[in-house]
Amino acid sequence: MIPAPQPPRPPRYRRTRARRIIRNTARALLPRRIGLRHRILISFGAGAMILSGVLAITTYGFTRSSFVQQRETAEINQAFANAKRVQTDLLANSADVIGALEQFGSAQRLLFSNGVWTSNSKGFTQADIPTALKTRVVTNLKAANMIIDHGTNAALIVGIPLEKAHAFYFELESLRETQDALRSVFIALMLSGAIATAVGIGLGLLVSGRTVRPLVQAAQAASAIAEGRFDTRLETTQDRDLEMLTTAFNDMVATLQTRVERDARFTSDVSHELRSPLMTLAASAQVMHSRRDELPERSQAALDLLIGDVTRFQGLVEDLLEISRFDAGAIRLINEPLALLEFVRQAIAVSSLPRTDVIFAAGTDQILVQGDKRRLARVFANLIDNARIHSGGKPKIIIQFADDDPTKSRVWVIVEDDGSGLIDGEEEKIFERFSRGGSAGQRAGSEGAGLGLALAAEHIALHSGSIWAENRRDGIRGARFIVDLDVFIQAQPVDAAQLSTEASS
Amino acid sequence: MAIRVLTVEDDERIRASVKLALEDEGWIVDEAPTGEDAIAIFQSTPADVVLIDIMLPGIDGFELCRTIRKLSDVPIVMVTARIDTHDVVAGLEAGADDYLTKPFAPKELSARIRALLRRVRPSAPGHSKLVFGNLEIIPDEGKVTLGGKDVPLTKTEFRLLCELAHDPNGVFSREVLLDKVWGHGYFGDGRLVDVHIRRLRMKVEVDPAEPTHVVTVRGLGYRLQS
Repeated sequence: MIPAPQPPRPPRYRRTRARRIIRNTARALLPRRIGLRHRILISFGAGAMILSGVLAITTYGFTRSSFVQQRETAEINQAFANAKRVQTDLLANSADVIGALEQFGSAQRLLFSNGVWTSNSKGFTQADIPTALKTRVVTNLKAANMIIDHGTNAALIVGIPLEKAHAFYFELESLRETQDALRSVFIALMLSGAIATAVGIGLGLLVSGRTVRPLVQAAQAASAIAEGRFDTRLETTQDRDLEMLTTAFNDMVATLQTRVERDARFTSDVSHELRSPLMTLAASAQVMHSRRDELPERSQAALDLLIGDVTRFQGLVEDLLEISRFDAGAIRLINEPLALLEFVRQAIAVSSLPRTDVIFAAGTDQILVQGDKRRLARVFANLIDNARIHSGGKPKIIIQFADDDPTKSRVWVIVEDDGSGLIDGEEEKIFERFSRGGSAGQRAGSEGAGLGLALAAEHIALHSGSIWAENRRDGIRGARFIVDLDVFIQAQPVDAAQLSTEASS
Repeated sequence: MAIRVLTVEDDERIRASVKLALEDEGWIVDEAPTGEDAIAIFQSTPADVVLIDIMLPGIDGFELCRTIRKLSDVPIVMVTARIDTHDVVAGLEAGADDYLTKPFAPKELSARIRALLRRVRPSAPGHSKLVFGNLEIIPDEGKVTLGGKDVPLTKTEFRLLCELAHDPNGVFSREVLLDKVWGHGYFGDGRLVDVHIRRLRMKVEVDPAEPTHVVTVRGLGYRLQS
C-alpha cells in the first residue's frame, strides 16, 4: 500500500524567527561579557524604570485629561454665560461695545461686530484667533473652542456667535494655572520614577549580591579544591534552590576526594609492588656481577644487558612513581636553603656527565636558593641526560642572573648544548610526557623513557620556578634549557674563623 | 671477626637476594620474616647491625625498632618505601640510625653499614678524657657521664658526640656531620643529623629544651661546649 501523501507541515519558522530576533536583540543589548551580577542589576534597574515610566505616563495622561477637561468645561460654560450677558448689553446699547466687554470678570475678550474687532485687552487681538476657529464661528455660525499657545502659556479660546446682536464673541482664558499644576504633577511623577529606578537598582544590587554570593563561595571552594584541599565543602543552606547546588557540589567533592585518595593509595601500592621485585633483581644482578669473570663470554654479555636494563627499569619506575605522585598532589618537598653554585657542582657530580663545566656570572656564587636538593638535583641530572642523549655533545652549565630582572631577585641555571638544536614548535612539546623530541625515530629505543623533561618541569613548578627551552642565542647551533629560580638569599660571607677546622678538610 | 647482619623483611625473595649480596662482602646474615621472629633471633644471637623493613606483618618496623633499641645500642638501618613521607622521621625517632629507600643497591647498603660500624677515632695522646663542664667523654672506653652518672648512648649517638667533641667550640655543619658520622655525601638527608642531635640532647642535657652542651649555631650547624 502506498502511504497517503503527508499534508505539508504548517510553516514553523515564524515563531523560531521571532524568537531568534528576540534572542539576538537581547544579545545585542546584553552582551555575554556582562556578568551575572550586572545583568541582574540592569534587569532590576530597567524594570523599575519601565514600570515607573509607564505608571507616570498613564497617571499624567489621566490627570491631564480630567484636569484640562474640567477646566475647559468650566471655562466654556463661563464663556457662554459671559456671551449671553454681552449680547444682552449690546442689544440694550449697541454703541458701548467696550463697556459691554469690560463690565465683568478678568477674561480677555474680543468682539467682532459689523466688521470691527473690539478687544478689552491689548494681549488679545484678532491675530491670536486661529483661522480654523474663526471660520467655524464667523462663517459657520457655530460655537467652538480651541487650545492655543498664547505667548509662553497655553490658553483656551472660546468663540460664540451672538446671532441676535449680529456679533461674534471670543473669550481667551489663560490655562497657566492648569499648566503649572500639570507641570508640578509631571515633576513629581518624574521624581518618583527616578526614585523607583534607584530603588530598583538598589534592590538589584542586594539581590545580585545574594544571588552571586553562593556562586562566589562555590568558586572559592572550587579553587581551594584545585589546590588540593579536598576537605573543602560548601556550607549547607536552608535555601531549597541553593541546596541543590550545595549538595551536588559537596557530593562531587566527596567523590573526587575518594578517587584522589584511592589513586594515592594505588600509587603507594604500586610503589611497593614494583619496588620489591626490582629490589630482588638489583641485588641478584649485583651478586652475578661480582662473579662476572667466572662466566662464559656469552653469559657476560647477557649479564651486562640485564644489569643495564635493571638500572633503566629502576629509573623508569622511579620516574613513573614520581609523576603519579605529582598527579595525586602527594609530593612533599624537603626544602632547605642551598648554596646554588655548590649545589649545581654536586648535582653535576652525581649526573651522567660528572665533568660538565660550570660557568658562573659574578655574584652568583653567593646565591642561596630554597629547594629540595634531591629533587632539584634530578632536574639538572635529567637536563644533562637530555643534552647528552639528544645532542651527543658536551653540555655546559651557565649560572647567571635573570636577563629580564635588574633587581637580581631571580637566577638562571642554563644547560646549553651544541647539538642539532630545537625544531620550531618543539620548545613546549619536549616537556610533555613520553615525548622524545623532534627526531624521535633516530633516538627511540636508545635511552630514557621521555619522562625526564616532564619530570623536570613538574619539579621546577613545585619550586615556584619556571623552565623553558630555546635555541642558542650566540649563533652556534644547539639548544639551551633555562631553569629560572627565585634567589632565596644573597649569602653573607661566612666568618671562616668560626667554622671548625674539620669543616674545611 | 665477620660482621653479623640481621635482615628483617617479609618478602622472601628480597631477603634471599640481600643475603646473597651481603654474604659476598664476607658477612654473616641472619634472616627474620617478621618482627616477632627478629626479636627472638636477636635475643639468642645478637647481630652487629639490624636491617628493618618498615612494612612488616604483625608488629611493624617502628615497634620493632623501639623494642630492639630497648635491648641494645646496635646500629639499625631502616628500609622505607619513600623518602618524603613521615616514615623517615618516625623511623629515626623510633631509634633507627640510618635509612634506605627501596629499591636500594646492595653496595649502598654495605657502605652504610660499614660507616655505622666505623670505630671512633682514637683520641690524641693525653686526651683520653674530654670534659665539657659536667659532661665527660672517654672515647677509648665508649663512656659518657653527665654529672658523674653514666649516660647510655647508642653507638651512632656516641660517634656523633665524639665528632663534635673532637674540635671543642668548632662549628660543624650538617653536611660535615653527615659525612663524618654516616659517610653520606652531599645528598645525604639532613634530617638524620637533626633527629640524632635531638636524641643526643635528651640524654646529655639537663634540660633538652634549653641545651647548654649541644648548641645550634643558627645557619651554620652545631657545636659542643661546656
